[in-house]
Amino acid sequence: MIRAVAASAGLACGLAHACGDPGDKLASGAHYTIAYRTAPSPIVTGEHFAIDITVCPLGGAPLPRAVRVDASMPAHRHGMNYRPTVIAKGRGRYRADGLLFHMNGRWEIAFDVVTAGASERVTSAWVLE
Amino acid sequence: MLLGMVCVPVMAQTTTVTFDETQARRIASLGPWPPPRATDPSNRVSGNAHAVQLGERLFNDKALSKNGTIACSTCHQPDRGFTDGLARAQAIARGDRNTPSLFNLVGLRWYGWDGAQDSLWSQSLRPMLDAREMGASVAHVASHVRKEPSLRAAYRRAFAREPSPGDEAVAVDAAKAIAAYVETLESPRTAFDDFRDALARGDETAMATYPVLAQRGLAIFVGTGKCTTCHAGPRMSNGEFHDVGIPFFAEPGRVDPGRHGGIRKLQASPYNLLGTYNDDATRHTAVSTRHVVLDHRNYGEFKVPSLRGVARTAPYMHDGSLPTLRDVVRHYSNFDLERQHADGERILEPLGLDKYDVEALVAFLATL
Repeated sequence: MIRAVAASAGLACGLAHACGDPGDKLASGAHYTIAYRTAPSPIVTGEHFAIDITVCPLGGAPLPRAVRVDASMPAHRHGMNYRPTVIAKGRGRYRADGLLFHMNGRWEIAFDVVTAGASERVTSAWVLE
Repeated sequence: MLLGMVCVPVMAQTTTVTFDETQARRIASLGPWPPPRATDPSNRVSGNAHAVQLGERLFNDKALSKNGTIACSTCHQPDRGFTDGLARAQAIARGDRNTPSLFNLVGLRWYGWDGAQDSLWSQSLRPMLDAREMGASVAHVASHVRKEPSLRAAYRRAFAREPSPGDEAVAVDAAKAIAAYVETLESPRTAFDDFRDALARGDETAMATYPVLAQRGLAIFVGTGKCTTCHAGPRMSNGEFHDVGIPFFAEPGRVDPGRHGGIRKLQASPYNLLGTYNDDATRHTAVSTRHVVLDHRNYGEFKVPSLRGVARTAPYMHDGSLPTLRDVVRHYSNFDLERQHADGERILEPLGLDKYDVEALVAFLATL
C-alpha cells in the first residue's frame, strides 16, 4: 500500500485544482506550488516510474527556467540509485523519467525549481509499505 | 484478503506464533511463488525452445573455454544449486568472489555481485571472455559454433539463419542462447510458500505443518529484523546494492570496488542495453542503464542476493567469507557499524539476537 503524506504547507484545500490537473498531488514552497502525478500510479517498489509535473508560481514569482527532481530516504541517509532526466513540456509542465524507489519506507521527493540566480526546493513525502 | 491475515495465532504443540498486520502483509509480499513466466525483450531468442536446447548444450560445453577445461557448469553445478561450494570461484584461475546461484534470474535489472551487466545474456558472455574464468575470445567462441556441425545446426534452428561472419555477433548469440536456458532455471515451491499461501487464506491446519521454529524465524525476518527492507519481494532481493560490513579487500592491499567498479564496467561495455546488441527496439529495457548514477558510496557495495534456495549455496556473502547460514545470521546480529562508510547509507543496526533467535532465523532460512 502506498500513501502520500505530509507534503509541505501548501496542501491547503484552496489549492485544489488551482494548479495542474484534477487528482494531482500538491506540494508548495514559498514561491511555487508543484502539482504532480506518477506513472505508474501508485509507485511500485523496485520498478521505475515517471512524474508529470506542473509548476505554478505564487504571488508573481517568475516562471522557472528548469526543474530538477531527486528523491531520498532521510532515515536511511541515501538517495535513489538513479538520476532522473527532466524534459520541459512547455507552459510550466515537465516530465521526469527514470526514478526508482528500491526500498519500502519513507521517501522524500525533492523538486528544485530553478529561476535566474535562485532555486527553491519543494518536497513531498511518500511512504511505501 | 489481508484482513483475514491479521493476528492469526499459529498453534503448535508447545508454542504459538502470532503475526501482526504489518508482519502478515510483509509475509504476503514474499510471494506468490512461482511468479508469472517472463521473457526478456532484449534477447530475441528468450523463450525459444530451440535456443533453450542450444543454450543448455553450450552451458555444459568446455570447448568454449580457452583451454578446453572449463564450462559454465564447472562453477554453476546443478547439484549444488548452480554454485560450486567454494568460497571463491575457481576456474582457469581463482576469482575474487563467491559463485552465485543461477535460479530465478529472468527480468532482473542487474547481474553479478557488482551489477556490471544489465542483461542475462551479457552476464552469460562475460565469464567466457574473463581471463580468470573461461579465458576465451569472441573469435574462439564464434569459431567453435561455426565449425562444430551439430552446434551449427542447433544455432540455425534457434536463430533461423546461419552464423554471421562477424565473430562478436555470433558470440553474443551464443550468450543469448545460454541466457534462454538459464531463464528456465526456477527454484521450486517450498514449505515457506505453502505457509505463506495458507496464512493468506487463513488455513490454520495447513499453517500448523510449517515448523514452529521456522515461524519464529519468519516473525523476526519480517518484524524486528527488518530483513525485508532489502530481501524484498518473491525473489527476496530488492535487486540493488548495499554495504553490509563485509571487508572488501580481495587480498591484502587490493580492494574489490564492488558496485562502484560495476557501474564503470557497465557504462564502458559494448554489450550493455544501450548498445547495438539489445534486440528491444524501444529501448525500454535500457531505462536502468540510462539513469544509473555512479557515487562514491558505491565502493564496497554488493548486490543483495536472493534467499530462495539459500540453504544449498554455502558459503555466503560476496567473498564467500561466511561458511554457514548461522554465521550469516550472527554477522547481522553483531554487526559492527564502524565497518560502514562514514558517508554511506545507514540501514543496518546490530540485531542483538539471542541464541534461540539465531536458531529460529536459521530454521526459517532453511525452508526457503
